[in-house]
Amino acid sequence: MRPRVLGGGLVLLALLSFPTWGSPYFVGRVFTPAFIFGMIALSLCLLAGYGGMVSLAQMTLAGLAGYGYGYLTVTLGQPWWVGVFGGLLVATLVAFLFGVIAVRSTGIYFLMITLALGMVVYALANQNRSLFGGHTGILGIRPPELFGQGLTERVPFYYVSLLVGLLAYAFVRYLSRTPFGLSLQALRDDPRRLAALGFHNALHRVAAFTVAGFLAGLGGLLLVWYNGAISPTTIDLTRLINIMVIAVIGGLAYAEGAFLGALVFILVTNFASSFTQRFNTVIGLVFLLIVLFSPEGLSGIGLQIVRALQRRLQVRLAPVERAGME
Amino acid sequence: MSWPQFVTVTLNGLTLAALYFIVAIGFTLIFGVLRVVNLAHGSLYLFGGYVGWSVADRTGSWPLGALAALLAAALAGLVLEVGLLRPIHGQDLREALVTIGVSIIAADLMLARWGGFTYDFSPPEAITGGVRIPLLDIGYPKYRLFVLAFAIVLGLLLWFLLTRTRFGMTVRAAIDDRDMVAAVGIDVQRLFVLMFALGAGLAGLAGVVGGSVLSISSGEDARYLLASLIVVIVGGMGSLPGTAVAALLVALVEQYSLALFPTYAAIVSFLLMVIVLAVRPQGLFGRAA
Repeated sequence: MRPRVLGGGLVLLALLSFPTWGSPYFVGRVFTPAFIFGMIALSLCLLAGYGGMVSLAQMTLAGLAGYGYGYLTVTLGQPWWVGVFGGLLVATLVAFLFGVIAVRSTGIYFLMITLALGMVVYALANQNRSLFGGHTGILGIRPPELFGQGLTERVPFYYVSLLVGLLAYAFVRYLSRTPFGLSLQALRDDPRRLAALGFHNALHRVAAFTVAGFLAGLGGLLLVWYNGAISPTTIDLTRLINIMVIAVIGGLAYAEGAFLGALVFILVTNFASSFTQRFNTVIGLVFLLIVLFSPEGLSGIGLQIVRALQRRLQVRLAPVERAGME
Repeated sequence: MSWPQFVTVTLNGLTLAALYFIVAIGFTLIFGVLRVVNLAHGSLYLFGGYVGWSVADRTGSWPLGALAALLAAALAGLVLEVGLLRPIHGQDLREALVTIGVSIIAADLMLARWGGFTYDFSPPEAITGGVRIPLLDIGYPKYRLFVLAFAIVLGLLLWFLLTRTRFGMTVRAAIDDRDMVAAVGIDVQRLFVLMFALGAGLAGLAGVVGGSVLSISSGEDARYLLASLIVVIVGGMGSLPGTAVAALLVALVEQYSLALFPTYAAIVSFLLMVIVLAVRPQGLFGRAA
């Protein structure tokens, strides 16, 4: 356990001090979006890893929070905190609605229905002008100013994204150990037995989907601040699938994987795009290779390496220990 | 709604239903037989459309383009099944993820090859132009009527193939009990590959037939994947009559609402899906999982 705490502390320290030694490009264009997309992917990890519900609609929920914020602050001219509250409310309520619709399907059917729901919101956003701004979307969205500091500044925005990401991460880890989280995992493994124990399975699923919608909404707010605008492109099929790609690359079953996957995804897209136009092909290939050869994603590979190293070390240390005993 | 308008809207609904049926039938065949959710179905549609356009453009023959689309998409499906899906057969989620990966790569490569342009087909003269519908005295495009007829013939052929031929019976037996079919000495894997190629080929053919109603351009893959998804979810996945009925229902409801209240038409097919799912989660003709 102790090496893990140590490792976590070192990562945290590195992330906190990163703006002081990292290049502005990496701070603003790689790590900040990695926290944001990581958070949206985290909501999928919560659903898929703990609840066994693979949803393709997480980006849709994030986008709806962004649309809610944009509509309230730009179209209606409300202050930012009304936008934040409204955006999160929209994401959470729609997640609840989606959950109710999809709750009776499982596995692959769940995936298809959430995909269809996501695409319908995309179609609606594209068509509707009064609420969604049609094809152009909502432009000129401004993030809030806190303590006289505009969030558009690179470093404050980095820290806000990091903080919200960490909170979301800690929340998911905490949730997985609460009775709710435990019954969710039991539901994933054996729904019939859990129902026999008197648990309300559907209620658990809907609750998990709603909570995940809230998390996705948080990510969506940060994303809309980062982009300064939102349009149907933000929630089109490619973006929906990108979240899945991120979560799978990182490892669906690991909360850390969401952020790791987002970082790798952004690095690959950024660097592949500097030497080839076909960076989507590169991403697709990476994704395909991971699905085919490492179902647990990069986190799974990482854990395997750590375990293998530990075994090696133990083998080497074993004779020494025995010698000490004598 | 006036009477001629009602007839036109109904005909539009029927044409759209025909198109939805042609696109979704390959998706549901593959799902019904192999239990694979092929999320690259839209990519096969688009691929068929592009190949069909290129061939029709070179040869000047629309039917040749349609044939090429069918064959090219069937071949792509064959490679997909044998190369990527077979090693992980039976793992639903991984199969779906693999097809997602393929759709990402396919979309990018097709963009590289055919660019972001819009391609228009010119079907043979015999099926273009307008026709006056007797008694009602309203004009209607011939090609749309052709699509309707094509869908009906295709549906009947598939129905015949599945229920009246030895191949179809074996396929249906394999859906119910794969091991038993294998045990009596039938090569189930070959059966599955053939069905996958057939479903993929139909998607490619739909690319030309459907692409000729509107046009073919990058991004259409998502649109037709969504249409297929909604139709098969409403109809019950893997069911041939379910696909036909759902295609009719979805398309007619869409067209009537487009005529009556255009602003909200986009969410009507969605509402239909929600209502069906609330009452029958397995879809109208689906069997309980």
